[in-house]
Amino acid sequence: MILIKCPYCGERDQSEFTNGGEAHVIRPTNPKSLSDKDWGEYVFFRNNPKGIFYERWVHSHGCKKWFNAVRNTSTDQILKVYKVGDKRPDLSDFENTLKSPSGEPFVGSGNFAVKK
Amino acid sequence: MSAINNNCEYIKKKQINITFDGKIYQAYEGDTIASALLRNNVRLVGRSFKYHRPRGIYTCGIEEPNALVQIISEHNEPNTRATIKRVYDGMEITSQNRWPSLRYDFGAINNILSPIFSAGFYYKTFMGPKGFWKNLYEPLIRRSAGLGKPPKNFRSKSTHQHHNTDVIIVGAGLSGLIAAKKFLNTKYKVLLIEQDSYLGGVLKNSNKVKSINGLTPQEWISETEELILNSKNITILKNTLVTTYNFTNHLIALEDKFAGKKIDLNKSELTLHKIRTSNTIIANGHIERFISFRNNDLPGVMLASSFEKYIHRYGVVPEKEPVIFTNNSSSLSLLKKLISLGCKPKAYVDSRKKDNIETEIKKFFKNNDIPFFSDAEIEGCDGNKKIESVTIRQGKSFTKINSSMLCVSGGYNPDIHLFTQSKGLVKWDKNILSFKPDTPFQKTITLGSTSGNYSFKKLCDEINEKLSIFKTKKVSLDISLNVPNKFSIKELWETKKKNNSNWSKSFIDLHNDVTTKDLKQAITEGFDRIEHLKRYTTNSMGTDQGKISSINSLAIVSKILKKEISEVGTTTYRPPYAPLSFAAIAGRSTYEFYDPERKTSIHSWHKKNNAIFEDVGQWKRPWYFKANENETMYQAVQRESKMLRENAGILDGSTLGKIEIKGRDALEFMNLMYTNAFTKMKPMTSRYAMMLGEDGMIKDDGIICKVSDQHFIATTTSSGAPKVLADMEEYLQTEWPHLQVYLNSITEQFSTFNISGPKTREIMMKVFPDIDFSNDAFPFMTFKNFDYKETKIRIMRASFTGELGYEIYIPPKFGLELWEKIFSCGKEYNLIPYGTETMHLLRAEKGYVVIGQETDGTVTPIDLNYNWMIGKHKKDFIGKRSLSRPDTSREDRKQLVGLSPINKKDIIEEGQHIVELKELPKKIKNPIKYLGHVSSGYHSPNLNHSIGLAMIRGGKNLLGQKFFVTVTGKTKNIPVEIVNPVFIDPENKRLTS
Repeated sequence: MILIKCPYCGERDQSEFTNGGEAHVIRPTNPKSLSDKDWGEYVFFRNNPKGIFYERWVHSHGCKKWFNAVRNTSTDQILKVYKVGDKRPDLSDFENTLKSPSGEPFVGSGNFAVKK
Repeated sequence: MSAINNNCEYIKKKQINITFDGKIYQAYEGDTIASALLRNNVRLVGRSFKYHRPRGIYTCGIEEPNALVQIISEHNEPNTRATIKRVYDGMEITSQNRWPSLRYDFGAINNILSPIFSAGFYYKTFMGPKGFWKNLYEPLIRRSAGLGKPPKNFRSKSTHQHHNTDVIIVGAGLSGLIAAKKFLNTKYKVLLIEQDSYLGGVLKNSNKVKSINGLTPQEWISETEELILNSKNITILKNTLVTTYNFTNHLIALEDKFAGKKIDLNKSELTLHKIRTSNTIIANGHIERFISFRNNDLPGVMLASSFEKYIHRYGVVPEKEPVIFTNNSSSLSLLKKLISLGCKPKAYVDSRKKDNIETEIKKFFKNNDIPFFSDAEIEGCDGNKKIESVTIRQGKSFTKINSSMLCVSGGYNPDIHLFTQSKGLVKWDKNILSFKPDTPFQKTITLGSTSGNYSFKKLCDEINEKLSIFKTKKVSLDISLNVPNKFSIKELWETKKKNNSNWSKSFIDLHNDVTTKDLKQAITEGFDRIEHLKRYTTNSMGTDQGKISSINSLAIVSKILKKEISEVGTTTYRPPYAPLSFAAIAGRSTYEFYDPERKTSIHSWHKKNNAIFEDVGQWKRPWYFKANENETMYQAVQRESKMLRENAGILDGSTLGKIEIKGRDALEFMNLMYTNAFTKMKPMTSRYAMMLGEDGMIKDDGIICKVSDQHFIATTTSSGAPKVLADMEEYLQTEWPHLQVYLNSITEQFSTFNISGPKTREIMMKVFPDIDFSNDAFPFMTFKNFDYKETKIRIMRASFTGELGYEIYIPPKFGLELWEKIFSCGKEYNLIPYGTETMHLLRAEKGYVVIGQETDGTVTPIDLNYNWMIGKHKKDFIGKRSLSRPDTSREDRKQLVGLSPINKKDIIEEGQHIVELKELPKKIKNPIKYLGHVSSGYHSPNLNHSIGLAMIRGGKNLLGQKFFVTVTGKTKNIPVEIVNPVFIDPENKRLTS
């Protein structure tokens, strides 16, 4: 159960929030002009990386506000939260958390609990 | 064999009685079940999981693999650890997993058959023939699975408590208390958690420590506890076990409110503490491990430190003349204590070479004349249901000694369970031959033996250094010891058997009956990864999670694989640390508190009038009303449906979701959310509307009332309301923040009645004599607001039955009164109440769809032939673009049609397939062409035959064609004709009458 800092209410338990998938996927303003493929990309395809991920959350059992968060999906650390409309933080801000080439962190994975 | 009592400050000399397997035993207040039984020389307490071997008490704490008992006097609670459960007067206990009795257990035949129950037994054995699994194996396995029996008539009263602290200290032993001392009267809010009912840990479990700052250990504990109790910033929780260490320093601990007391059924017996903390200090010590040898599971084998703990903590010496077997230097304090009590070990067996054994120990043996075997090991032990003799191997010679108890010490493991749960990394330490914490992942600090530091002398320095990140003062304690503090250990995991026999066993997991041979066999069969091996052999998968044996199994596996232990790795440590009951997790969310029931304002009337209820989401809705005792559901629904189409009926529709949409841009917003075009719609009119997902599939439907361009009221399905509101909110906040629109859920602000049938107008005119209900003044799909008594009501002309109908919205406070008035006015017109089932039948007759019945998330409005609902000239709405994707424009999509049986007596069943075959083959060899399925099937009392709605591939072009519908349990299908789904009043004459 992770702790999430709602930009409006402060730190609250994860159980108060709902995850809304990848962030910064903007609904096309003129869907009609899009090809079937491009529209299909928008509707059906989302990224699911291991590591740094920009995603949406809603404080559904609280202020009901949507906001964005940067989460390391392999360690579940929430590195930053920011309001809808705020500038998306640069990936280089979080570089230090992803040292290993495979994306598997040195710390934080139950599959590799023993230090060699 | 006999136990003796020892003076002990933790045990009150107040005698109480407990019952074990029907026999009464005397115990002392403060005893655990295990210490009480040992006091009474009861060694045999249970039968093992697989082979039903006799088992005794192995440890003195949470790590116990064997002594699990059933507490009859506490809701029949099974699998209780006898080693931690405290007794009270009148406690009733039974042993588990035996029949007919503990001494003579029929299941022990498994022990004789044991060669076939080896690793992977289940996977290899229960393979065939067909049908044997369902009829023979599964019932058999189910009957013999598990240890205890589940509780009966159980009603938990546990509660949850939340904490927010700066620091949590897990374990109030020596390290935990020193750490707490550092935080005394500081700005930090500290929670000190101890699983025992006394603080002190190692200080009360042994006499290794002689004095602290000149005080006896007990005096020092009392002084420290006093200081903590008087401080404002530290709270102590006793009888509380930390079971879980989650992300972001979230810990879960379970408090037993009735430790050592009879449960008060009116009070909460367990408290689950949910703790958020900034820093975690883990000081929960170490756990001793065993050594595998032949028959190392016989009652009488016990861990040496547990034996010692029984003497100091519970004042019972389980045996005056035990044999001690060790591979390390930790047992001297036990020896000294035994001698001081006038007891004398029968032998001391040390696997270390004579030169490596401390001179203090060697001197001690000489002075006290104790038989001493160095560079030796226990080959095995023998006896019937208890140890009778042990065999010692020294070099090539064997010595047999008669004894009833064997104390084993295979070294100590730092208790890294919580640390690894927190995702910290551990490292193999060659000096202590165990894993110890290395890199923490969270703000976690481990102290004392948890961190692998077994030295009392270095403890204060370690704590001062590790806690230097906090603004606290240095502590220094003068700790003097009774025994030398240097720890030395020789690697020894398993001793060699004299003879190899299929029936002689040396166990690696006592709880699940896994032998060292099983490990070897599993590796031979290719399960050489530790996670696979664990699951294949069930090693360390018992409720004790292999606390005394898992490192041993890693070591044995690494030897076979010729790898380093750190290469083999550990299995994943997962919460909980020790079993915690579901009752504690559920807390107060049980029975009526589990899921709230929502009732409408008319609920009491429904109950009085014999309504049978249906759950719709959390709502209780009348399903149908019983006219008399004997009326079946089918009869009731047929009656209600016929009566409504002849006269009139009323439905409590209060559960329908209602959302108010207001604001400058409400019109634009509604045009985007729904398929329909609202721009040209006149104020005070309403419209049936649909909401799609971006994929073009129907999500919800309802009637939209337009008050003005800036004000709409939307109804939703009963269960879809929260989701629709959340979706609207999401689009407003994330996609169209420029729109000024405000949403409000008003579902519970209005009671809603749907009244319909040919006589509705007369009834309405009688109820509301001042209102003009004529077709011209109040046409179909319009609504009006009226004053009614001291409140306001809204009446809309709409219908879901296909008959003339009105919907009345009234604040719930006035709902019941109006409902009753409608009934008194409607009596002369034979007005009936009807439930959801009749509603479903009537709408099916009219060809109206139900979201979630005809649709399943793969249906577009075009598939339903509802093209008229789509605002084609609108530039955009959610899902519009998807309606012109190649997939949604396919001609052979499943489309809505009606089904009418050709033979009018045939019954069309819901959920059946539509096929081209008149009859199914007896044995189906090739797939049968499937055209679609029946989504709704009813017997229509108004048409007097069965009708169906169906979703059929390319259905729109199949009107008038003949197909077949399958029948439950029969191969002969029924012929049906594809018809228009509107069976009644296709011209809408009744609706607009």
